[in-house]
Amino acid sequence: MMFDAPRREERAGPGKAETLEFIAFMGALCLFFSTLEYLFPKPFPFFRLGLANLPVLLTIKLVRARYVLLLVLLKVLGHGLINGTLASYVFLFSFGGSFASAVAMLAAYRLGGRNISLVGISVFGAIASNVVQIYLSVTFIFGLTAWVIAPLFVGLGVFSGVLVGLFAQQFYEQSRWLGGIRAYFAAS
Amino acid sequence: MPTLQPRETFLGRHFAPHHLFLTGALLIPAFLFQPNLVVRVAQVLLFAFLATVNGKRIKWMYFVIMVSSITIFNLFTPFGEILFTVGPLTVTLGALRSGLEKGFTIVGLVFVSLASIRPDLRLPGRLGGMIGRVFYYFERVIEGKKHIRPRRLIESLDEVLFDLYQPGERRSTTREALRPTSSVGYVVMGVLLSVNWILVFVTSPLPF
Repeated sequence: MMFDAPRREERAGPGKAETLEFIAFMGALCLFFSTLEYLFPKPFPFFRLGLANLPVLLTIKLVRARYVLLLVLLKVLGHGLINGTLASYVFLFSFGGSFASAVAMLAAYRLGGRNISLVGISVFGAIASNVVQIYLSVTFIFGLTAWVIAPLFVGLGVFSGVLVGLFAQQFYEQSRWLGGIRAYFAAS
Repeated sequence: MPTLQPRETFLGRHFAPHHLFLTGALLIPAFLFQPNLVVRVAQVLLFAFLATVNGKRIKWMYFVIMVSSITIFNLFTPFGEILFTVGPLTVTLGALRSGLEKGFTIVGLVFVSLASIRPDLRLPGRLGGMIGRVFYYFERVIEGKKHIRPRRLIESLDEVLFDLYQPGERRSTTREALRPTSSVGYVVMGVLLSVNWILVFVTSPLPF
């Protein structure tokens, strides 16, 4: 006698519509955290702490890669619309940096599995984002001489990646809200 | 701090968001094809004014640093007539002009974007619908922000998040009707586009 495997819709947990709703909510959190960046002093004019990356970092462990990439797209589009930078180089930098970061974090999570913490994943993302943004600034804005600032920017990126990763790790372990979300997505 | 609440501005009163976006999109080629550096700088100032009229706050220092740093980096690749030397650096006319052009172009594009894009601009399709959901939740999160306490950050964040989103739920959203472009808006649009495009042809060298 043969038994069919249960269909995806019949299992407990989220379907596509629920996952998309969750991604929309996390997109809103990305925008919220990017507004919080304004509260922190910047040591350099082009430096960003990367707080908007926090929801992306938390989502990586919950949903499939394509939903993480959708979240990144919503984050950069939403940011471009709210700040009015959608048609400028700022959007290009945000787009390039955010997607490079997401791909690096997904790869780190996929390859590292349980051996890599959110701090490690965050650092990989920050380095990828900074390298791509330096590449874009060399190509489109400053020219080849701008490579001299690369070590400083990558260093700052690692520093901010560690900070964001530490907070993400703490939130991941302590938040009751996220605990509920994790249980819900684990059921799928 | 940016929010979704559009300020009551001149451009907000007289332009539908998609018409404002279209105006910006048509201004960009008129700006990029402008061969005269002085006119281009004047356009940058015009776009900065329009961005301010659109309710955006411009961080002038950021843009001054931007143009200066782009120009300085360009000076390291000298070409053209030598103007003067500062220590080991030879400042040439070609590199200086190229750096200023690049710097003002990049900053001008940011100002056009700030002037022509508003949060109520609706993107088409399913992605546009998703952005609408993101903005709906963003407004709720901003409302809940006042309950977040830095001293008990995770705990207070949890309370706000529980209130805003429970797994599996879907809250309904309603979209407000957009204000149409007024006749004043169409006139402003026509003047802006005419002046900027006429300047391209007036300042370009004749092909014959």
